[in-house]
Amino acid sequence: MALAVEMTGISKYFPSTAVQANRGVNFSAESGQVHALVGENGAGKTTLMNILYGLHQPDEGEIKINGKHVLVPTPNEAIHLGIGMVHQHFKLIPSFTVAQNILLGIEPHKYGLLRQGYENDMVRALADSFGLPVEPSEKVSNLTVGMQQRVEILKTLQRNAYILLLDEPTAVLTPQEADEFFKVLRNLAERGRTVILITHKLPEVMKVADQVTVMRHGEVIEVTSISDTNINSLAHAMVGRNIVFNKKESHVRPGEVIAEVKDLFVSSNNGAAAVMGVSFQVHKNEILGIAGVSGNGQNELTEAITGLREVDKGKVLLASLDITKAAVHERRKSGMAHIPEDRMTMGLNLQTTLDENVIVNQYRQKPYSRAGFLVAAAIRKLANSIIERFSVASAKTGEGIATLSGGNLQKLVLGRELSGNPHFIVASQPTRGLDVGSIEFVHKSLLDASRSGAGILLISVDIDEIFSLCDRIAVLYRGQIAGVLSAEDADEQKLGILMAGGNLDPAEEMTQ
Amino acid sequence: MSKSSFSKKINVLLVPVLATISGLILSSVILLLTNHSPIQAFSALVNSGFSCSKLTNCNFFQTLQLATPLILNGLSATVAFRSGMFSIGQEGQFLMGAIVAAWLGYAIHLPPVIHQIVLIAAAVLAGGMYAWIPGILKVKLNINEVITTVMMNNIAILFMSYVVNFPMNVDKGSTARSSPIDISATLPTFFQGSKWGVGFVIAIAASIIVYFYIWRSTRGYEQRMSGQSPLFARFGGIKTTRAVLRGMIISGGLAGMAGAIEVMGVHHRIMQGFSTGLGFDGVMVALLGQTHPVGVVIVGILFAGVRLGAQIGLQTFMQIPRELGGVIIALIILFVSADTFFKDVVQTTQKWLNKIFSRFRKA
Repeated sequence: MALAVEMTGISKYFPSTAVQANRGVNFSAESGQVHALVGENGAGKTTLMNILYGLHQPDEGEIKINGKHVLVPTPNEAIHLGIGMVHQHFKLIPSFTVAQNILLGIEPHKYGLLRQGYENDMVRALADSFGLPVEPSEKVSNLTVGMQQRVEILKTLQRNAYILLLDEPTAVLTPQEADEFFKVLRNLAERGRTVILITHKLPEVMKVADQVTVMRHGEVIEVTSISDTNINSLAHAMVGRNIVFNKKESHVRPGEVIAEVKDLFVSSNNGAAAVMGVSFQVHKNEILGIAGVSGNGQNELTEAITGLREVDKGKVLLASLDITKAAVHERRKSGMAHIPEDRMTMGLNLQTTLDENVIVNQYRQKPYSRAGFLVAAAIRKLANSIIERFSVASAKTGEGIATLSGGNLQKLVLGRELSGNPHFIVASQPTRGLDVGSIEFVHKSLLDASRSGAGILLISVDIDEIFSLCDRIAVLYRGQIAGVLSAEDADEQKLGILMAGGNLDPAEEMTQ
Repeated sequence: MSKSSFSKKINVLLVPVLATISGLILSSVILLLTNHSPIQAFSALVNSGFSCSKLTNCNFFQTLQLATPLILNGLSATVAFRSGMFSIGQEGQFLMGAIVAAWLGYAIHLPPVIHQIVLIAAAVLAGGMYAWIPGILKVKLNINEVITTVMMNNIAILFMSYVVNFPMNVDKGSTARSSPIDISATLPTFFQGSKWGVGFVIAIAASIIVYFYIWRSTRGYEQRMSGQSPLFARFGGIKTTRAVLRGMIISGGLAGMAGAIEVMGVHHRIMQGFSTGLGFDGVMVALLGQTHPVGVVIVGILFAGVRLGAQIGLQTFMQIPRELGGVIIALIILFVSADTFFKDVVQTTQKWLNKIFSRFRKA
């Protein structure tokens, strides 16, 4: 078959960060196929695609599109060559309609005036021709995330994209939406479009792709067709060693209740009710997962439990102590640890040294302070022990942390939060944006903590993470618990139904 | 890692040096245009600002005296900036401290030492309370502290004008002024011929205390974390509003102390035009001194020396108008504060060198 994209000998060095992002990469994708480009974060896959899309210029190497040598100096040139890119974070204008977004910048006009009715007809025709129905006059802000993604794809198709680059497209979708999305991709491929899927989720690669290219440390490790490979060998190629994907094994019997939330009501920043009557218990040795599509009250719930947001009604108990109104440092003193979603602005202070980062939760306590002054030696000792126990690579005491990678930053957060042997750990999206190796490390640390007696509340939109860690899974939908499943009873389909606001047959499934 | 920290250190040194040289070159052009020899002018400036012929006739001592309020106001700005408040209210807090010190200096009569301590304490309190207002407005109502502190400065300047013209006015002299403070309330000086005295020692002591407080104490830690990353601080269990307010009060207290020392050690009263923008200068000293006590002390002394040099050296000896001296100082400050520009220059040069180097390596 004809090659739609052929990149040979691509090298790219970033002097500002001293990273060789691509090293002699050869990459090709056949037209009419879905080609997955997989690799850990920092493997160079996004850089490669940004080069193809004209966002970066390669130091070396050639690009051929449909067999012809091309230069791609700008994204505009890429669009002109028939390349379209859908970024991980959508670039849509929420207050505009679907049609206005799709035709942004290329609006049909007559005598300098826009032709709104004609716009809608154009978009409807386009959508129908690809079997991607949308309502052109609907405002984007009213659409679900899945539909917004569809609009992004239509936007590239309207610009005659024959080669579609999709960066981590399923990160924001429910399992059902993802399945729907895979059908769309297959459909596009059948119509002769080339789809390049950047991802690190291997199950979906197996589900949807024809071919796969695995990258590691800026180089291509393996190119194979899907029929010749499996998840484990892909994972091995990706990280260079074996990774164990498993459902949680070896259940320790959960102990007594360590934390409890009773009929909790919390408002969001704009005053709207975000959490409405949530109740649950977390036991010793147990990991309770809060699953759900993001934006269903997870942030408000986490902040209310950890003391960063006021509670409107209801109670939060920690070891049967009422901490609903307790200050953050009181909660931490009574044994609560918090691994926040945003490690860059909340979990760590990138402007200061490693030492000052590891004591924020216990700087008042001995031996880290005495008579109102910090004890540098004790702090350094703690910092060193965290670096060692959590193998935080290239981190040094007394130095800044801004240059550390995401995985190492998260290890630092974990090390600090777990170092005081907390009873109750609130972990919010602890592996967001991390590479496979770091994810494995984070998961292992959390499992260890739960085995040694801590109760853990894991809030995550990543279903795989929920499955591999949790003993029980509660689904949060529009600020309420839509259902609680035990790990044995839960499967992707049931969770997906609950996450989308559906109902399971109560007689059959509701275990709690 | 070591390579990057090395180049960082080079940047830290290179940037201000480049900035100062550029400032001097541009000032030289201006001096040449007005028919003065730049070399002569600069040597006169340095000689007059930093020379010391006799202990009783020592320009440098005068420089140290002039540096005292600059250092204290610079510390005040440093504490506020480090606590995440871009407070430029030093002028107002400085004046409030001065007014309270001048008033209590003649209104109550106490034995030495005690009188002085009472005055300084009262001025610290006045400055601190005056800074608490923009602090609480920021913390409770999220009103921008830059705007409120500027407004508070204007209020204090006009209030100063009012008290020396009306309630505290003593004689119908050419400038409105208050009665002199009691001898028991004045701060002793070290040598005849300059007003360099105990006030300077207090300023240096304050610098040391501020350093230990901000960088070594748990409360200083709370303030710095709240300033650098409020979310992180709150997440860790720091009460950020309390830390920020505390930062403002300490900042105001230091500026108020500067006001008291200026009254007790130099003028012994307040009068119309008491402050020549010493509070505003404090902001500049803090920024040029990298918001660090050591930097503040060094920059404060240099700043005072250049200012004195411009006044005596340029105006008196070389007949260069003092205003031109002001222009030279302003140019140097401008270039130093435009340090990002020089950072870019340094970085581009480095990139260039890297490119050449890597080409060599390839060949």
